[in-house]
Amino acid sequence: MTTSRTRYFVIVSLLILTIGLGTGLVAYYVGMPPAASATGPDELRFVPANASLVAYADVRAVLVSQVRRRLLDVLPLPSNGQKEFENETGINIDTDVDHLVACLTPPAQGSGLPLSGMALVRGRFDEAKIESLMQAHGARVEQYKGSRILAADVHAPQRAANEIMSLAFLEPGLVAVGSDAVIHTAVDLKASGANVTTNDQVMSFVKSFAGNDAWAVGRFDALTAEAKLPQGVAAQMPAITWFSAAGRIDSGIAGTFRADATTAEAANNLRDLLRGIVAFARLQAASRPDLQPMLDSLQLGGSGTSVTLAFDVTPQMFDQLTAALKGLRRAPLTPSK
Amino acid sequence: MTDATLRRQRLSFASATMRIFDLSLPQMLWSRRSVFLALVTGGPVVLALLIRAIVAARPAGALQVNGAAPSGAALYGMIVWLLYIRFIVPVLGVFYGTALIADEVDDKTITYLFTRPIPRGSVLAGKYLAYLVCTILLVLPSVVIDYFIVVPLGGRAGIGENFPALIKDLGMLAVGLAAYGAVFALVGARLRRPLVVGLVFAFGWEPGVMLFPGYVKRLTVAYYLQGLVPHAMPDESAVSAILQFFSETPTIVASLTALALITAGALWFAARAVERREYVLDQ
Repeated sequence: MTTSRTRYFVIVSLLILTIGLGTGLVAYYVGMPPAASATGPDELRFVPANASLVAYADVRAVLVSQVRRRLLDVLPLPSNGQKEFENETGINIDTDVDHLVACLTPPAQGSGLPLSGMALVRGRFDEAKIESLMQAHGARVEQYKGSRILAADVHAPQRAANEIMSLAFLEPGLVAVGSDAVIHTAVDLKASGANVTTNDQVMSFVKSFAGNDAWAVGRFDALTAEAKLPQGVAAQMPAITWFSAAGRIDSGIAGTFRADATTAEAANNLRDLLRGIVAFARLQAASRPDLQPMLDSLQLGGSGTSVTLAFDVTPQMFDQLTAALKGLRRAPLTPSK
Repeated sequence: MTDATLRRQRLSFASATMRIFDLSLPQMLWSRRSVFLALVTGGPVVLALLIRAIVAARPAGALQVNGAAPSGAALYGMIVWLLYIRFIVPVLGVFYGTALIADEVDDKTITYLFTRPIPRGSVLAGKYLAYLVCTILLVLPSVVIDYFIVVPLGGRAGIGENFPALIKDLGMLAVGLAAYGAVFALVGARLRRPLVVGLVFAFGWEPGVMLFPGYVKRLTVAYYLQGLVPHAMPDESAVSAILQFFSETPTIVASLTALALITAGALWFAARAVERREYVLDQ
């Protein structure tokens, strides 16, 4: 009795299911080819593959954002701080820096040393001025595999390689600042190519950050292990493997926090915890209609082992916050009777 | 014809079920109700295409839910929760499940089926099987299409990362269609106005009792079905906030066991009702 059109319908439905599940299965095990525009900043070429934390900030976007201007109105930065930094390094943050990539790498096994860090700053730099300024402060110049490395504090006694601060010009317009050991690794990576872009887990996060002005991704377990937390505190830490945060900054701030738990059960527990916190905050803010939109923008999500919390501080909310901050600054302190 | 000849001609329950299934599947697929079914399952696909078009036409972050820009996977999770679990699965269960026997009664054609040499219960079983195949073949491809339209919004890597959640969704929706279909098949086989009762159960009783703490929510299909959902419940309304506040999610094993029992029990009682009940046809 089954008509031919019924047969065709069944075949088409099963075909869609088969193709969909087949593609998903291949993507799950092999991964999808990356989109050209979603491979992250070019500076990731210098970040070691075993980095525990990788972060990016579009400094230019942040500097020209309305959020910064509003914050400066309320919380003005010390005017001499930026000038002092410029005098020390020859770098004017307002005009010279475009964006930066930062990373933390674990020390060699059993070395007992803390995490090493590095910041890769892209912009326009006067190499001669920076070099002369650093040499004036006692830095040593080293030629390493075609790159000039300026190591500061080399005369300090008993310093390990990851405790010495260095600066290197990796290529025109790109300065690396950080631990001497990581700077040397970055120079090595220039030739070897075994950088963080070969780390599929990190790169899957990086690809998902496309369009954000700032982001960070890291291994929660590796960072907490290095933090040397007390036993009691460490036991209470949620079972999270990866965490990430990404946001866009313009007239407001919108972003997402994400945590990947070890198991679906741990993720459910974390979701329940966050849900409770958000619900409690909503109850507390019931009498504060000005805070309501911000709390309403909190979106708890995620599936399987991932937990996400999205937020959005709109320009209107920023105005309310800055007004409240201004009010606090102006309010005179009255002694209690 | 002697009794012995009749007994020889009488089909077994399984063979009769397959005959009825073969007869009912095309009827179910190409009926007027199918237009409704196509609209219901096509809606999320159209919505997903709309989301994709908005994201393509406007800069990053232009698409916002409750003031925040959700990721592709979060949007997909919302579609599954709000459209499939809370609306499409119960509504398909109500409209198709209650109609399995009631339609034959209304059309006065049930007599033709009951006078065949087949067990009466196989009529319900065959029709239920046709409902399950029909709805599964429409709903699951719609979910897969939604997944591939919406999830890549957060980067193509999301397709692989969220694949286990897609598999769980497909399984959960198939189980949900089976459970709701069985419950409403029972309603259709026992009651005179099954559609009204079904609608009240799916959109009155179920969401109503889920708002309250206590054990009453265990008398719903939604309670166990929500225990299988791999996505976080979206907090899009005050009702959701209350649901989350009182959320008490059963384990996956408990949910699957309860849904299997509900499905098997409802089908058994429905088949028993069809076997025993005298359907009086309005003249």
